[in-house]
Amino acid sequence: MTADRTDLAFLGARQLAVLVRERKVSPVELTQLYLDRIERLDRALRAYITVLPDTALATARRAEAAVMRGARLGPLHGVPYAVKDQFDTAGVRTTSGSRIMEHHVPAEDATAIARLDAAGGILLGKLNLTEFALGGTQQFPFGQPRNPWNLEHDPGGSSSGSGIAVAAGLCGASLGEDTGGSVRSPASFCGVVGLRPTWSRVSRHGSFPLSWSMDTPGPLGRTVEDAASLLQAIAGYDPKDPLSSREPVPDYARTLADGVRGLRIGIIRELTFGPETDAEVRGAVVEAARRLERLGAVTDEISLPLVPLAGAIFMALADSDGAGVHFRWLRTRAADYDQGTRRRLLTASLIPAAIQQRAARARALVCAEMRDALARHDCSCARPRTRRLRPSPPRTV
Amino acid sequence: MTDLTTEQVGAPAAALCPPAPPDDLAEVTHRLNALIEALTPLAELPLETVEPVPALGDPPRA
Repeated sequence: MTADRTDLAFLGARQLAVLVRERKVSPVELTQLYLDRIERLDRALRAYITVLPDTALATARRAEAAVMRGARLGPLHGVPYAVKDQFDTAGVRTTSGSRIMEHHVPAEDATAIARLDAAGGILLGKLNLTEFALGGTQQFPFGQPRNPWNLEHDPGGSSSGSGIAVAAGLCGASLGEDTGGSVRSPASFCGVVGLRPTWSRVSRHGSFPLSWSMDTPGPLGRTVEDAASLLQAIAGYDPKDPLSSREPVPDYARTLADGVRGLRIGIIRELTFGPETDAEVRGAVVEAARRLERLGAVTDEISLPLVPLAGAIFMALADSDGAGVHFRWLRTRAADYDQGTRRRLLTASLIPAAIQQRAARARALVCAEMRDALARHDCSCARPRTRRLRPSPPRTV
Repeated sequence: MTDLTTEQVGAPAAALCPPAPPDDLAEVTHRLNALIEALTPLAELPLETVEPVPALGDPPRA
């Protein structure tokens, strides 16, 4: 190994893949490095629900042998990664962060996991999350996940462990799932890159559902390139998810190399300059916009008046879907849910149908407003997922 | 819309699952009222101009 061990842990997936390919780093040493860090740090951070040292090292040994014999290597060959425990892993317990599923062992990998493995990734383990990927968990059944930058601060959710593990150097990259911010929130809180892909771009097969029309797997990494590499590996049509897109998958890395010159970026007024946004956060967004302009992008302020309603619309729709998913367990195992989850699902179960329908129509209007804005801009930009700079401390210790 | 009471919320809740503890029921009632209130502005939107479907599916090819 040529680089300092700690530096290696923070290099990120894309650079690690290059080092493995160039035989400068051994997949076995790399895997052991992350396992050692997990052993040392995760008692406090609780990023992982399940660690897989034996299978990870066995996979790493096979990866190393492939490098040494000059085999054709996948784009993530030898890169240790971890996944939110919402994704099925064949033969490995998949809890969705709930006691209700603590003994659930799937027979098949989720499609996203199978694709990361096919790209050469080495699965280190399963990551902590808010119960069933809903927010508001009061008592995490598998330990309170903590922000590595400050243990008294919230790491965000629902893909809490996915953000923590990347930020703390406990994996090369991770996979989360995003319905209403569950990748973007932990990425924002933990200071890493998180990407919610366009819905349907990534197969949902094997991911425990919350809302059929909003769930999507999404990558978290140390760099934008890492997120692009993971998305490249997992994107594309899957016959096991009939709603997955048949559109060809772009070459994301090539697109990154284009830079931002000429991009038209709309800064959303209601989310960036509204009274709820912390001044320091607003300042950071404005500074980011200035930097993008210096790099050749064109920014302007846009107004999306319906966007502030999106949160309540989301709750009415996604939570209603979730109530449908959990209908049977709410009847038979209500006491086994965390109190926060149970209350949220029970609330959702009681949303009047007329209001749910109204929210569904309002969502169509919000989407139309956003599509209209994107007809004039290449992308939109707003404050991060959180309005405030310092997330609240976890509720429980 | 007038706020729902715990009694009004408790009846349909009992049809869904075993009787909720009183503190659960109070919280659920609070959350339901808050959500309904937050969605009140939707009544002012031209909802009849759109269908209640998500923006699903691939865009039409040129």
